[in-house]
Amino acid sequence: MNQTLHILTSAGLYITLFAYFIAMVFYWFQLITKNKLNGQLATAFTVIGWVGNTIILVARTILAHRLPLANGYEFILTFCWGTVLIYLFIQLHYRLKELGAFVMPIPFLLLSFVVITMGSNEMIVQAIPPALKSNWLTLHVLTAIFSYGAFAVSFGLAVLYLFKAHSGTSSVIKAFVSRVPDIDILDELSYKIILFAFSFLTLVIITGAIWAEYAWGTYWSWDPKETWSLITWIIYAVYLHARLMHDWKGKRAAWLAIIGFAAVLFTFFGVNYFLPGLHSYA
Amino acid sequence: MRERFKKWWEQFIRIMASMKTAITLLIVLGVVSALGTFIPQGQPQTFYFHAYGHLTGSLITLLSLNQLYQTWWFQLITGILSLSILICGYQRLRHVNNLKSAGSLLLHIAVVVTVIGSVWSLGYAKSFYLEIPVGEKVALAEHGLRDGRLGLKDFKVDYYPDFQPRQYASQLSLKGYKGKNYEERIAVNHPLKANSLKIYQSSWGWVMNLSQLTPDSAKTIQIKDKNTYRLQAGMDVRAVFIPDYAEESGNIESQSPLPNRPHVWLTLLQDGKIIDMTVLAPGEEAQLGLFTLRFDNYSYFSGLQVKEDPGVYLVFAGFILLILGILARYWQLFFPPKEV
Repeated sequence: MNQTLHILTSAGLYITLFAYFIAMVFYWFQLITKNKLNGQLATAFTVIGWVGNTIILVARTILAHRLPLANGYEFILTFCWGTVLIYLFIQLHYRLKELGAFVMPIPFLLLSFVVITMGSNEMIVQAIPPALKSNWLTLHVLTAIFSYGAFAVSFGLAVLYLFKAHSGTSSVIKAFVSRVPDIDILDELSYKIILFAFSFLTLVIITGAIWAEYAWGTYWSWDPKETWSLITWIIYAVYLHARLMHDWKGKRAAWLAIIGFAAVLFTFFGVNYFLPGLHSYA
Repeated sequence: MRERFKKWWEQFIRIMASMKTAITLLIVLGVVSALGTFIPQGQPQTFYFHAYGHLTGSLITLLSLNQLYQTWWFQLITGILSLSILICGYQRLRHVNNLKSAGSLLLHIAVVVTVIGSVWSLGYAKSFYLEIPVGEKVALAEHGLRDGRLGLKDFKVDYYPDFQPRQYASQLSLKGYKGKNYEERIAVNHPLKANSLKIYQSSWGWVMNLSQLTPDSAKTIQIKDKNTYRLQAGMDVRAVFIPDYAEESGNIESQSPLPNRPHVWLTLLQDGKIIDMTVLAPGEEAQLGLFTLRFDNYSYFSGLQVKEDPGVYLVFAGFILLILGILARYWQLFFPPKEV
């Protein structure tokens, strides 16, 4: 049984990566050719990849007797899962297939990063140290998946917005994005997704603080990861207020959304690789 | 004069209530916070001179960038921002006429409550680390608290099959803290709570009791695992606990962290250089240089983080208000009303 699950998780990783890659390529084809079949294939491969992603996570949950939320490897897998889930919801709800061309590179690149950089040490199911045994940690990571996933989709929307907004300057870009909805719709949708993600980011910070209070007795210690999550929160808070009061919509809002997502990525990767800190688990 | 003050005051309120001020302060706070993540915090002064050179090093310590988040100017920016948010909120009070605007106001109040709570923590929280051997007691007054005696009755470590710790737990007794007694088992992530006092399971180790024997006396020595004890000027004994001693391997090592065959490995050091060593089981004694030492017994010690923090409740109250504020503010986004 365990042997089967182990094979399932490692084979599943490559199948998921491959499916996300093919989906991404078909989304690009669809952007160029406007061929309906390309769009359908792209969606089909996205769904296949997401199912594979789900299977890995379920198998790992069974193997570890806990949710797969304990280290960087597990978090990247769940982050991709959340991003693709939110993306699929947006695509189906708003009929916005062109967005896939800009969102799908994110899970593809993240999973490639896992395959290239992480050894078997990170990938084997590890016993977790006592500090990670907390329901607050579970809540912390679950909320982070939805928050980061939604920020990833808002990033894709911001890039799509900028493409569409520049379509007047180039006939090639204009041809690519001719079927993309009006830029105001993209802008409004991006705003809504950021509201959702920002609410969840607030919960991520709160649950993290409560967990730290129970585990170490300090709800906030200005550790680089904590600080960068606060900086991310501040960037999106500025986005929301500038939009409300100074009518920062359109291009400026799109650039802020891109900067915000860069801060999300830096909080997750940059802090671990460039800065020293306590947050050594993920 | 009064007229002038009034004008000045109105100007001040106008600036503080402006969203531009708040956004600017938010950005400043973000940039300064980011700066603090690139400069290692809380290192001794010499570290910065070594790492950054004399000029940058002195600039860092002069501006307290090595303790950036505790500096007065960082606190001041946070304070002005909070004030600005409060004034903004107060001015918007009369425009509160639906769930959405009430939620927005609540969110802003929540942020200020959280900030006030954290400032309270910063000013009044007391925190210290203690190591107590099983069976011993410590008076908390020795560490700056008002009263209370903390005793460790028992300690246990639970291991995974590969001997990674699964959980560790202390059976604590806290007597006479603010007139009350507490008996509780604590573990990592499950602290003891007594009023605003919390006691956290933080680490553990081994402690050994040795006797230094002379023809007419026996002196008790308590020594923690991998620590040294000064026997006389220039002469130290170092003790390493071997919980599961394996003698056949040739090297001195432990087969597991479980105390199946407990031994102590004693090293005699003269001015830091090893001059003699021995391995003893409980009850055994040996000649080590000019000293006779006996290994009496061993036990766990528990590493405990003790914290008295009245601010944390205000911070948590701020968190609850934040969640309520989010729900009210974004209710329509999450649960859109059905279109008619």
